[in-house]
Amino acid sequence: MAVAQTIRAAGLSAFYERRDAPAASLPRDRADESFDAAASEAVVAPIDAVQGETALLIEGLRCGACVWLIETWLARQAGVCSASVNLATSRARVRFAPARTDVAAILRAIAAVGYRAHPYDPARREAMVRKESRALLTRAALALLAMMQVMMLAAPAYVASDGVDAEYAALMNLASLVLTLPVVAYCAWPFFAGAWRSASNRILGMDVPIAIGVAAAFAASVWATLQGEGHVYFDSVTMFVALVLCARWLELRVRERAGDALEATARDASPTAQRLTGYPDVKEVETVAARALAPGDVVRVATGVTVPADATVVDGRSSVEEAILTGESRPRAKGVGDRVLAGSINRESPLVLRVDAVGEATALRAIARLAERAAAERPAAARLADRVARTFVGALLVIAAAAAFAWTFIEPARALPVAIAVLVVSCPCALSLATPAALAAAAGTLARLRVLCVRPNALETLSRVTHVVFDKTGTITTGALKLVRIDALADDEALQLTRAMALEQGSTHPIARALVEQPSPREPVVAHDVVAIQGCGVEGTIEGERYRLGRPAWSLPTTLSPEDCVPAAGEIVVALADTKRVLATFRLGDELRADMPALIASLRNAGIRSSIVSGDDPATVADVAGKVGIAAHRGAASPEDKRAFIAALQARGEVVAMVGDGVNDAPGLARADVSIAFGNAATLAQWTADVVVPGDGAQRIGRALATARRTFRIVRQNLAWALVYNAVAIPLAALGWLTPLAAAAGMSASSLAVVLNASRLRNAKPRRTAAR
Amino acid sequence: MDILYMLIPLSVALAIVIGACFGWASASGQFDDLEGPAHRILDDDDRAH
Repeated sequence: MAVAQTIRAAGLSAFYERRDAPAASLPRDRADESFDAAASEAVVAPIDAVQGETALLIEGLRCGACVWLIETWLARQAGVCSASVNLATSRARVRFAPARTDVAAILRAIAAVGYRAHPYDPARREAMVRKESRALLTRAALALLAMMQVMMLAAPAYVASDGVDAEYAALMNLASLVLTLPVVAYCAWPFFAGAWRSASNRILGMDVPIAIGVAAAFAASVWATLQGEGHVYFDSVTMFVALVLCARWLELRVRERAGDALEATARDASPTAQRLTGYPDVKEVETVAARALAPGDVVRVATGVTVPADATVVDGRSSVEEAILTGESRPRAKGVGDRVLAGSINRESPLVLRVDAVGEATALRAIARLAERAAAERPAAARLADRVARTFVGALLVIAAAAAFAWTFIEPARALPVAIAVLVVSCPCALSLATPAALAAAAGTLARLRVLCVRPNALETLSRVTHVVFDKTGTITTGALKLVRIDALADDEALQLTRAMALEQGSTHPIARALVEQPSPREPVVAHDVVAIQGCGVEGTIEGERYRLGRPAWSLPTTLSPEDCVPAAGEIVVALADTKRVLATFRLGDELRADMPALIASLRNAGIRSSIVSGDDPATVADVAGKVGIAAHRGAASPEDKRAFIAALQARGEVVAMVGDGVNDAPGLARADVSIAFGNAATLAQWTADVVVPGDGAQRIGRALATARRTFRIVRQNLAWALVYNAVAIPLAALGWLTPLAAAAGMSASSLAVVLNASRLRNAKPRRTAAR
Repeated sequence: MDILYMLIPLSVALAIVIGACFGWASASGQFDDLEGPAHRILDDDDRAH
């Protein structure tokens, strides 16, 4: 067989010792021709100049050995840098050098060792998740049904004061056996498969005690039924299986919801687009697939329609909802020259857009890739929980064996029930569910807020943050200039503003944008012969008169006293002048984000200190700090100073989060315990941070911190509960004070308590923290 | 009490029939979406979906 030869030739025969399920054979000829077709839909995200990454969905993964084999095998392929396979999601992430290999070759390599791989596709994942959920629900429901029937048949044995007649007891036991058989053979199958899988990998999973408990109780009951003497535990077996399956189904639903919220960003923005060919001369509309668009194309986006690509407005004025990117449903006004992002929805009136980026290059896809990477990696907290659970299972098996051994001397008839009760009552489920259930619920909440934890441990660090350091420009402020004040030295303000707007009409300079954005105070005028002089300003003719708008020193130095033009902290002053005198000065400032003061206040209420570090001059920084209510601030800081500032805080024992726009603060972001990139979603591709908060809505940072804290509080509660429960229940069971039935009830109740406690995170409304 | 010899097998058979019915319903996707239909009944437009 070709697959076996490949594996042997590669010196990977250890796989045959590790694997625990025979492979399904793959028809080679059929696979071969489909590779190139499949590879063409694959999405390769560039990592840097030489590396790319692609996500694959692998069919036929059965166990840890499969994961090991595929990872090892792929890492040996020419051009492949690294591969990681996630058994739980059946997803592989492969980093490779596109210059040296391609996706078709990788798919072929995976097929060579006997697995079928596809480019990762949300629809396929959905189908797989649905299948899993359906199978689990069917198993749980059938086990519940059998449980009810078996309970009824067991009831007479519990209530009859002098026991049931032997002949009826035999009949009832036989009926119970018939009803329990499918529960053990079908419903409990995942436990046996899981136990076998972990045993063959020499790992103690939580399925092991469940499987041993079910098998031992069932075997003893069958023996008692056939012999016609001894106790039967059919009721315990069915109840145990039914309750554990219910707990798992609930857990799966929590996980699925979290996944759904992430998937929303992974879908294509819009399947079709209306392309205007020959714009602006001919306005002919042609409907094309959004994938077929190219940068430079002009598209029309009707009201209520999703924007197909990242683009710049060339005509029209509307408001656009960016909820899919930023989680914020309040529409934002967009006019000519503004950028709109793929996935946002046009709300008011049609827009004509020039496409800047399509497909993989859009901000939406960049967010989706970050979200996928975040979902694929397991935080250290979850790995630790796994290790603890494994040790616990090992200890549990020893205790059960010891209890059984001790009871054979005290009362041999009770040795088996006691051992079963010990295995069943203990709660490896609660222990190993405690962390993942809370993390899954938190992931769902954060995904709805569009807060992406890119590094696996970011959430844990966020929960411990004591100090948040903000960058100023683009973080505390919007980074865009805004007109603050007009001082008219002649005529009225409205007239001067109208003239200034006319001069700046065609310019894309930030100062021009700030002026042009103003609502026109009166009938607009038109400027002719406008020339822009680099570094100085613009000059043009309005109604026969020549005007200059720009730096006061340039506009007309002689008639302006210097005091008029001294910019206040953080402001820029431009002057409008005709050929004789200065007519008006315009003061422009960097606008504060409206919700920043509220965020700072809510952080303060949560006991988290804040400070501002910026490269701007100290007076400006002090001014801004005063406005948002931050006491600690530092201006004129070089990137190296920012790093030192954070290091000094850390030396005092603070856990520091740095919030920046993600582009200019690399040293500071790298030094902080956890870095948060916040702001302009359009530049997202350049962001390197642990946590990414695209778009406006500063309150989301506060909510993310609060969610992280709640998550780890719930993890601690869950772990404490699981430990206390086990510390009480295991000795009780070992001393023979619990029947297997009571043990099963207790175990399931404690598992459910943990899952429900975690789901509080999902249901909790974002806490409304008052500004004061 | 001999009636038990009929009733118990009957109840077991009934349970198996119910289980089979549920298995069929689940396999045909009736439990895939437990929330959507409750909202859909309020939706006047019968053509949607």
